[in-house]
Amino acid sequence: MRDLAFIAFLGAIFALGFRRPFIFVLAYVYIDVVSPQRMSYFLLNAFPISAMAVGFAVLSWLAFDDKKDTRVAPRQGLMLALLAYCYWTTTRADFPIDAAFKWDWVWKALAFAIFLPLTLRTKLRIEALLLFMLLSVATIIIAGGLKTALGGGGYGQLKLFVDNNSGLFEGSIISAVAICVIPLILWFTRHGTIFPPDWRVKTFGYLLIFACLLMPVGTQARTGLLCIGLLAVLMLRDVKRRMVYIGGAAALALVAIPFLPTAFSERMGTIRTYQADASASTRIEVWKWTLDYVKSHPFGGGFEAYRQNEIKYDKISTVGEGASITIVRTPEVDKSRAYHSAYFEMIGEQGWPGFALWLMIHLGGIIRMEVLRRRYWKTPPDQAWISPLATALQHAHMIYLFGAMFVGIALNPFVYMLVGAQIGLDTYLARKRAEEGMKPMNKRRDSPAPEPA
Amino acid sequence: MIDSLVLGLTHGLLLLTAWRLIHRPDLDDESAPPPGEARQNRWGRKRA
Repeated sequence: MRDLAFIAFLGAIFALGFRRPFIFVLAYVYIDVVSPQRMSYFLLNAFPISAMAVGFAVLSWLAFDDKKDTRVAPRQGLMLALLAYCYWTTTRADFPIDAAFKWDWVWKALAFAIFLPLTLRTKLRIEALLLFMLLSVATIIIAGGLKTALGGGGYGQLKLFVDNNSGLFEGSIISAVAICVIPLILWFTRHGTIFPPDWRVKTFGYLLIFACLLMPVGTQARTGLLCIGLLAVLMLRDVKRRMVYIGGAAALALVAIPFLPTAFSERMGTIRTYQADASASTRIEVWKWTLDYVKSHPFGGGFEAYRQNEIKYDKISTVGEGASITIVRTPEVDKSRAYHSAYFEMIGEQGWPGFALWLMIHLGGIIRMEVLRRRYWKTPPDQAWISPLATALQHAHMIYLFGAMFVGIALNPFVYMLVGAQIGLDTYLARKRAEEGMKPMNKRRDSPAPEPA
Repeated sequence: MIDSLVLGLTHGLLLLTAWRLIHRPDLDDESAPPPGEARQNRWGRKRA
């Protein structure tokens, strides 16, 4: 039954794509985030739906789309360089078979991110892309949020449609992504035009934000809690009454604590006592191993290079109470421990050059959005959406990169769609400025003529 | 049960988004008149 519904849905979306080819781009975004072929048992997984969507998107862009004044941003060049560099490291990877498997999805994510901004020629297209990303990821988040609210969940136990812990369906990844999309949801509750912000849009938006905040609770991923902290700090930048906001946030946190499951509170408590926790202490050892490894392999070991690590560490725990407290060190050995950090993932797999390229792509995004945020800070009402959108994209990116300190999500396709949207916004505005003859945008063009004295 | 409900909700919204988009001329060309205006003009012409 579900299979038939998926087929009907995709059939409808593809049919609409033949009316307006940009819908094919959105179809690819949807397929990449939701992966309906993995929730389906027959028919859908027999068709290469993802390849079909991207094929139609590229062909229709080549054949029909207006390419006048097409602009390419430096970051697209950087992504192309990273793509070529990753190809090179894949050909000389320490684990060629595993590396080829990862390359197979990485190249698609990067290539799509390079292509995506070329299609984002209008404001509505940028909005449509972000809305499709949000509604697609909302599928996972609402289901996770509802199950958490009804008492499900647990570390590695929250059932999110697909059991194989891949893509966005892994607990730590989805809890970081769920928090990073909150600034974008807030933008839609104020500036959306596909669904103009009325009480329905606002209610849906706020409930979705609540579901997003429940994801770290449901998955018990500590990364998510840290991301919520950063989100709270970032939101301080734009609130009008800061002290009221701080008081409100603190009160909300205090009220929320009694409702949190005990298992969640206990696990979050281990952020401070990380040495007693195998998951956290192995991370630090893996990071040390990576830095050692890259000393002898400055160009990295190719994808999945972590598979060769063997880590010996002491798990430290305290036994007893009061005066009779003793510290117990238990030696542990772990093999093929994943990086658990996007930064170390890039250093270990792609070496220093790959890491530098990756960092430039991401830091470049944050800097460019800051430039747009300030340039369009005071604008006429028809441009009032620009600065908040640049801010939302920047905050989403910062939260993602913060979460990425503890999760290996350096090349996750979702963030490259976000990067694509940022570049799209940037080149769109550059085109607009060029059309307006380099008039400074912060001067009111529609100001009335001075009255004769 | 929850899964099916949520799939229905978000996929319905995705489809509604796509449906609304195909009726927006500014999806492909921002110099095109907004849909409200275009409809009004058409009405106007019919009445005239």
